[in-house]
Amino acid sequence: MKNRFILLFTLLLSGWSAWAQETFPRNDVKDQRAGMYAFTNATIVVDPQTTLQNATLLIKGDKIEQVGTNLSVPKGYAIIDLKGKYVYPSLIDMFTNYGLSEVERSRGRGFGGAEQTESKTKGAYNANQAIRSHYNAADEFTIDAKTADEMRKSGFGAVHTSKPDGLARGTGAFVTLNEKNDNTALLRPKASANYSFDRGSSTQSYPVSAMGFIALLRQTHMDAAWFGSQNPRPFADNSLEAWIQSQQLPQIFATNSWMNVLRADKLGDEFGVQYIIKGEGDEYKRISDIKATNASMIVPVNFPDAYDVEDPFDAEKVTLADMKHWELAPTNLAALEKNGIIFSITTSGLKKTADFLPNLRKSIANGLSETAALKALTTTPAQLLKIDNQVGSLKKGMLANFIITSGKLFDEKTVIHQNWVQGESYNIKPLDARDFSGTYNLSINGTSYNLEVTGEAGSHKAKVKVDTTSIDANAKFTNDLITLSFKPQKQGGAIRLSGWSEGNGWKGKGQLADGTWINWTGNRTGDAATKNGQKPNDKKEVLGNVIYPFSGHGYPSLPASETLLIKNATVWTNETDGILQNTDVLLKDGKISKIGKNLTDASAKVVDGTGKHLTAGIIDEHSHIGAASINDIATNSGMVRIGDVLDAEAINVYRALAGGVVAVQVLHGSSNPIGGQSALIKLRWGESPENLKIQGADGFIKFALGENVKRSSNPSSIRYPQTRMGVEQVYVDAFTNAHEYEKQWNAYNSLSAKEKLTAIKPRRDLANETMLEILNKKRFISCHSYVQSEINMLMKVADQFNFRVNTFTHILEGYKVADKMAQHGVAASTFSDWWNYKWEVRYAIPYNAAIMHRAGVLTAINSDDAEMGRRLNQEAAKSVKYAGMSEEDALKMVTLNPAKMLHLDGQMGSIKTGKSADVVLWNDHPLSVYAKPEKTIIDGKVYFDIEKDAQNNKVLAEERARLIQKMKDAKKSGAPTQRGEGRSKLQFHCDDIMGLDLED
Amino acid sequence: MKKTKYIILAMLLMANMAWAQKPVPAPAQTKPVALTGGTAHIGNGQVIENALITFEKGKITNVANAATVKMDLNGYEVINISGKHVYPGFILANSQVGLEEVSSIRAMSDSREEGEMNPNVRAVISYNADSEFPPSFRFNGVLLAETTPRGGTISGSSSLMEMEGWNWEDALHTADIGIHMTWPAIARRQFDFSTFSFSESPNKDYDKQVTQVENFFMDAAAYGKQSNKVANLKMDAMQGLFDGTKTLFIHADNPKEIVSSIRSAQRSGVKRITLISGSGALWVAEFLKENKIPVLLPATHNLPDREDDDIDMPYKLPHLMTQAGVMVSLYNNDSMHGSRNLGFYAGTAAAYGMSKEDALKTITSNTAIALGVDKSVGTLEVGKDATLFVSEGDALDYRTNVLSHAFIRGKHITLPGNQQELYERYSKKYGQMK
Repeated sequence: MKNRFILLFTLLLSGWSAWAQETFPRNDVKDQRAGMYAFTNATIVVDPQTTLQNATLLIKGDKIEQVGTNLSVPKGYAIIDLKGKYVYPSLIDMFTNYGLSEVERSRGRGFGGAEQTESKTKGAYNANQAIRSHYNAADEFTIDAKTADEMRKSGFGAVHTSKPDGLARGTGAFVTLNEKNDNTALLRPKASANYSFDRGSSTQSYPVSAMGFIALLRQTHMDAAWFGSQNPRPFADNSLEAWIQSQQLPQIFATNSWMNVLRADKLGDEFGVQYIIKGEGDEYKRISDIKATNASMIVPVNFPDAYDVEDPFDAEKVTLADMKHWELAPTNLAALEKNGIIFSITTSGLKKTADFLPNLRKSIANGLSETAALKALTTTPAQLLKIDNQVGSLKKGMLANFIITSGKLFDEKTVIHQNWVQGESYNIKPLDARDFSGTYNLSINGTSYNLEVTGEAGSHKAKVKVDTTSIDANAKFTNDLITLSFKPQKQGGAIRLSGWSEGNGWKGKGQLADGTWINWTGNRTGDAATKNGQKPNDKKEVLGNVIYPFSGHGYPSLPASETLLIKNATVWTNETDGILQNTDVLLKDGKISKIGKNLTDASAKVVDGTGKHLTAGIIDEHSHIGAASINDIATNSGMVRIGDVLDAEAINVYRALAGGVVAVQVLHGSSNPIGGQSALIKLRWGESPENLKIQGADGFIKFALGENVKRSSNPSSIRYPQTRMGVEQVYVDAFTNAHEYEKQWNAYNSLSAKEKLTAIKPRRDLANETMLEILNKKRFISCHSYVQSEINMLMKVADQFNFRVNTFTHILEGYKVADKMAQHGVAASTFSDWWNYKWEVRYAIPYNAAIMHRAGVLTAINSDDAEMGRRLNQEAAKSVKYAGMSEEDALKMVTLNPAKMLHLDGQMGSIKTGKSADVVLWNDHPLSVYAKPEKTIIDGKVYFDIEKDAQNNKVLAEERARLIQKMKDAKKSGAPTQRGEGRSKLQFHCDDIMGLDLED
Repeated sequence: MKKTKYIILAMLLMANMAWAQKPVPAPAQTKPVALTGGTAHIGNGQVIENALITFEKGKITNVANAATVKMDLNGYEVINISGKHVYPGFILANSQVGLEEVSSIRAMSDSREEGEMNPNVRAVISYNADSEFPPSFRFNGVLLAETTPRGGTISGSSSLMEMEGWNWEDALHTADIGIHMTWPAIARRQFDFSTFSFSESPNKDYDKQVTQVENFFMDAAAYGKQSNKVANLKMDAMQGLFDGTKTLFIHADNPKEIVSSIRSAQRSGVKRITLISGSGALWVAEFLKENKIPVLLPATHNLPDREDDDIDMPYKLPHLMTQAGVMVSLYNNDSMHGSRNLGFYAGTAAAYGMSKEDALKTITSNTAIALGVDKSVGTLEVGKDATLFVSEGDALDYRTNVLSHAFIRGKHITLPGNQQELYERYSKKYGQMK
């Protein structure tokens, strides 16, 4: 009874192409068809786990009616015999912008021009132009026939589409690739909510950096919670409203690197959101971290082309990392599968969609199982988008979205014959194409030629043999007709033939080069020769290792903790013991275990320190290495955090290590009076970004004064403040507001549970919270400063709000107010000898450090520069040269003193029993220009060893040579190549916005 | 009336300050000077212990081992420098000294003239003798510097300046020593926001730009042979290149640019060529050696060009180039304030492969040869300028580069400058100075 009802129902509505259009006007007689097809004798892959042999698929209208073996086909069905053919659920791409308009991207423009402090979006939308959660792909979606055709040819039947515009990108739609009707193609209007670290078309100044993107998304989460808790709303904000509405949808976060995958996941964790994360296909570089996110991934197969390395000079431009990625990218999906990560596969990032299946096959050749590949393209995306009741497998009641192939989908020779979308067929390669492969005797006007036809039915190629030479022929075959032309002699014209199939061959008419009409025949003489060695990847390909980090100087594995006994060295303790001659130091369990003479330890590796110097590791109070971005540009950027964007692959980290540096404060830049929060890191080269951080370290923040924050280098700047007096007001305002903020929360928190039910919970504000941390002595300021007036000013502001400025950094006129600084108790971290590159450093002198030090100010020498940062010992030596500072005091300026400023002196900064084994062994006096670090040790692990470095350089050169040879081979065998583009990262300084403004 | 008095007082005070901050240029040498007992680093690789060095009227008259020569030093100003070291003045090549002061302020920059082909503009004309930089340079031993225009393809003519003088004429050592040319770049570097990194793409105009340069040189060479010529300032300025009185300084980084530019200059008849380059020169060291092209390399205190490069590549580049048979010297490619560290750039080269005396050559004799001024400066040799200094110890190391005396053409110059004055003033303020 129930069945009959369904039958009746479908009958009424069938003639699928008409049913959705019932409300539409008609300009014809009614053409309603049953749309009933039976596909018989096929191998049907119902889902990745289930394959039925010799099975039948029945569809009716846009739905699947039945799938199974031994089905009898009811009357009235058109029968399509698929003997020898395969049927698969059609593929799903869950990361496209199909059917949506192009995004006009806003170009980053550094700090030139007038700043745009407000959103340009008209209407009641979010305060930030990059928050576009109000956007709905469904509103704009319209069929794009050309793209649909390309996608269908690669086996896709439905896609998820969203607009790649903004940090919050609004909802995505799930659509099929039918070419007929927008209304039927749009299967689920709101299928997802989408996010990214790319501000897209937004022209608003803030945010410009990855850390700003993260801060704004965090703040928007909080704003939405606050906004949504109020009824009526405090004001209209269509973007927040939409944000709130779309939280229950699948949440998709688009990223472009493995490090951004980790950043997106961490952002989600804070708000209890598990994003589905679109990666860049480089997850293999750090697969264990990717696995630890528990995120389901969307992964592209956009493998890079080989680089053109013919010219050795040009080849030098290509980094080992890029070469290795070329080799290892096809192993990425296998790594994901092996690690049990749920993933779907996307065409995103491919130069052309037609590369999709060939690239996927490469992944399979590199270890991806066919089942996993199919899952990633059918059931997984369907489940992730919660639309697996309609697509992804071939089950009763689901959409009739399937493909018919000549063989197993991922076999190289397999072709897709037809792609059915919602019960309608799109032909790709004829199902019934005749196989003409074989050899033939061509008889043309009495002359005999041998014709060889190779390739698959439907895509044959032909060659004609004249004597012993083989000539390519232009040939076109259909089941019934043939066109064939070739040049029997190199010089001279072509013979052109047209004909029709006849028995095992053809006959027809043709024209010789001179225009004479002739008759011809082609009679089959045998099978085409099967080529030897055509099987690709027959022998196992040799692949390089993943290295940590994935950079030329990466290690095959991370250094292990060692017990090291350094014998007979000159030890600069930085303690009351001073400099100890002929002394042994034992490093054990990551700590400095013993200091003395004639030490022994049976388990220790002994390092001869004779003639060498052992010092505490260098600490750089002001550095910008190891971060993906440095400046955001809100006047108060207290909400952005360098710790969100640490870059584990920054080569300057290794270079600094080689200069004896063990730890740095990665500071935000100096473009704002209130900059972002710092990250304190140890240079654990090869570790993941999170593992670089010094656990338990106090929080710091960058402030900045003077020319940079008043944007002196930009005559068009309109941003407040433009003067030093305005800068002061920014601070007073920020701290005053923080107090108000605290009062608001205190008032709320003191309410009874009952009162809270009716009260409005105050809005969380990340910038205010940061200011409050400063006031409550939970976060400490390192303030970029140059001239004495502004130095004095900030100390007065701090006095007014009852806190202490922790450090003035750069502080080039500190010597003019050293007495006031000593009184305030602020530390100074300065350049040794930089001056005169801008007006506010006109009166900088190389005696600054010594004067401040002698006035009782805790003084350090910093770098703000990746080059200088790797020889800070030499910068310290300049105070000896210029001002006669004692050598011990000078060395402390780059070791113990910065440790104190960063509140790390409990564990670092001197050679003292119990402190962390963060030490450097030098071949010479550490303040000499001739001194080199031989070992840089962090946590008792040797992260830099000068001998190992020399060996690794050889390994690096060999690995480059191997890959260059492999790329040459690839080019020779016809693979496309790309030009080496000499990629290099930015060297950040304080003042860099997008890295284009270079000043300090 | 009272008011005026105060104003005059204030003005006097200000004048006094200005006087105190900048050392007064020294008068010409009137009395012969003898430096005795020091270790002389000649600048050509030689070292003389217990040296006797004399100079008169600005020229060196004796350089010898005191143990082997007897000399009557009556009438000499004798300075005993036992335990100290004496060096030829360091020479800073390819600098914008006197042309650019505070680099971030447009009004304070005088180094880039409008246009592509400017051989006729002369840096010496812009040279600001009151720049704050020279006192800071010479404090560490840099006594000579090339002042060099930049920008365009042919930037203009450079001159060798002494780091002392009342005005540019006074400070001039040799006018118009050469012409600086930046060879067109094969590749252009641009920032890619999608990857947040720089990448290079081929310069599509490269061939066109090269043709323009080559035509310019061809025309200049022909101009010199024309008897009835239409006067042309640019062509006139180029002539010294073809008779060997001026050096052509070619700026080129890429190995292919290096070969193409040098071949091109040679074809047009340029007699003296110096290359200003970087690590790219290493790839074509053989070519540079065979063509006897001196090479100016950037400061050793630089980062490697490429991620995969040996991390110490800039440090050891002077050594590697020297080993390959190329004569190299060092200049400062970064912000000008760093030029006072020239000695330490050489010190770093010594730490990474070179001998200390070879490293010294990279900022003295080799530089003089590269600039075409080796007849008068670059070494402590008889007949050359008495432009030299005395250091407490090894002048290439921070710990010992402490100058006690410096002479420029025999003039005993004052070393402390503005910065030392400020040091003194504030040390006194805090009672730090006894």
